Amino acid sequence: MQAQCVSLCLLGAMVFLCSAHARGLRRCVISMDMRRIEESFRGIKNAIQAKDTFQNVTILSTSETLHSIKPLDVCCVTKNLLAFYVDRVFKDHQELSPQILRKISSIANSFLYMQKTLQQCQEQRLCHCSQEATNATRIIHDNYDQLEVRSAAIKSLGELDVFLAWIDKNHQGTSAASRQET
Amino acid sequence: MVLEEIETSLIMWFSYALIPCLLVDGVAVLPAPQNLSVQSTNMKHVLTWGPVIVPGEIIHYSVEYQGEYESLYMSHIWIPSSWCSPTQGPECDITDDITATVPYSLRVRATLGSLTSAWSTLKHPFNRNATILTPPGMEITKDGFHLVIKLEDLGPQFEFFVAYWKREPGAKEHVKMVRHGGIPVHLETMEPGAAHCVKVRTFVKAIGRHSAFSQTECVKVQGETLPLALALFSFVGFMLILVAVPLSVWKMGRLLRHSCCPVVMLPDTLKITNSPQKLISCRREEVEACVAAGLSSEELLRAWI
Repeated sequence: MQAQCVSLCLLGAMVFLCSAHARGLRRCVISMDMRRIEESFRGIKNAIQAKDTFQNVTILSTSETLHSIKPLDVCCVTKNLLAFYVDRVFKDHQELSPQILRKISSIANSFLYMQKTLQQCQEQRLCHCSQEATNATRIIHDNYDQLEVRSAAIKSLGELDVFLAWIDKNHQGTSAASRQET
Repeated sequence: MVLEEIETSLIMWFSYALIPCLLVDGVAVLPAPQNLSVQSTNMKHVLTWGPVIVPGEIIHYSVEYQGEYESLYMSHIWIPSSWCSPTQGPECDITDDITATVPYSLRVRATLGSLTSAWSTLKHPFNRNATILTPPGMEITKDGFHLVIKLEDLGPQFEFFVAYWKREPGAKEHVKMVRHGGIPVHLETMEPGAAHCVKVRTFVKAIGRHSAFSQTECVKVQGETLPLALALFSFVGFMLILVAVPLSVWKMGRLLRHSCCPVVMLPDTLKITNSPQKLISCRREEVEACVAAGLSSEELLRAWI
């Protein structure tokens, strides 16, 4: 009887671990062409980075944050950083040049679309936030708060290429295969 | 002359008569454009509106847009359209302005000199995922046995899914993804005698939608006669080579021999026409005659002494 209980428990634990592993494999991938957004940013990168007066400071802190993100945490960190840019950076930046304003609008609206895509993953419970992911997001927000708002916004805008490259690297893969099947 | 003057003054009075129509509370206004709408096909979006007519005047229009981000977070921000601030015609290509798959609000106003109309806003915001996707144009060609397809160039947003198969029972359908239109692409090498069919549809990654498939087009390559003709030509060619090669080798040999060791022709005077024996017997008789002739001269000499 006891042996049966133990074996049932072991079986249950194995099933649970397997499903957790499978859920991790079913990653939440943003299926969109990042090249268009990267092109928009390339057009304004020099103008934005030229206005950054604090060259020795970084807000995204890639070595502490983005580079150490595990695959399971990608969805959560992407969602948090998209919210960081949409809720804080784009709002805090005052742009007067119509040409730069057009490109920033294009990026901001694209981020809004990406947030909606990730929202679907959240509803399917594919976007769990671990402690590491939460810590990484907190570091970025703290870095942003240490600078004056306008300077922080311009610096974060200047670091968009880093964020976009990170999204491109971590969200490649299954989209093309799933399209062919339909 | 007098008629022309009357005509000019009539036009002037008519124009001045219009001014009270444009005045509201003593302030001149221009009517706002009406009936704004967006037509979108294959990710090309065009905003159109009813023109504002002021006789004898050219009206200019300004178009501005606001993405969902701006409408949610900074509703006072309207961005001037890339190509239509200002524009003359009652339409505007807003493709370069609509760069994300979110609802965009659009507004237009008319200007005439220092007069400007009120803004007229599109009733329902436009989202580019509502674009009408049409089946793409395709050109099928045969390059010998190779099946080659050239697709319509619809721009960088479009990818093509090409389905092709051999028209026979139980044949498998193949699918090839082509990233860009306008360039010939090789699909497969066809088998002679069988028809091969192709159909294609577009996919726009930005909005995650396919078009419908195009009409199926089938092509066939010639079957038995081609190999037979080839075999015949090959045989004839082989026979010609078999004859021509030894002939040319022999000719070359002769040419070489003549160029290395040429044969010299004797002049006619040195040619010996009689046989050698006869020549030798003739010579002997001549010698005897010469010897006989020699003795008689010696005797003559003794007789003198």
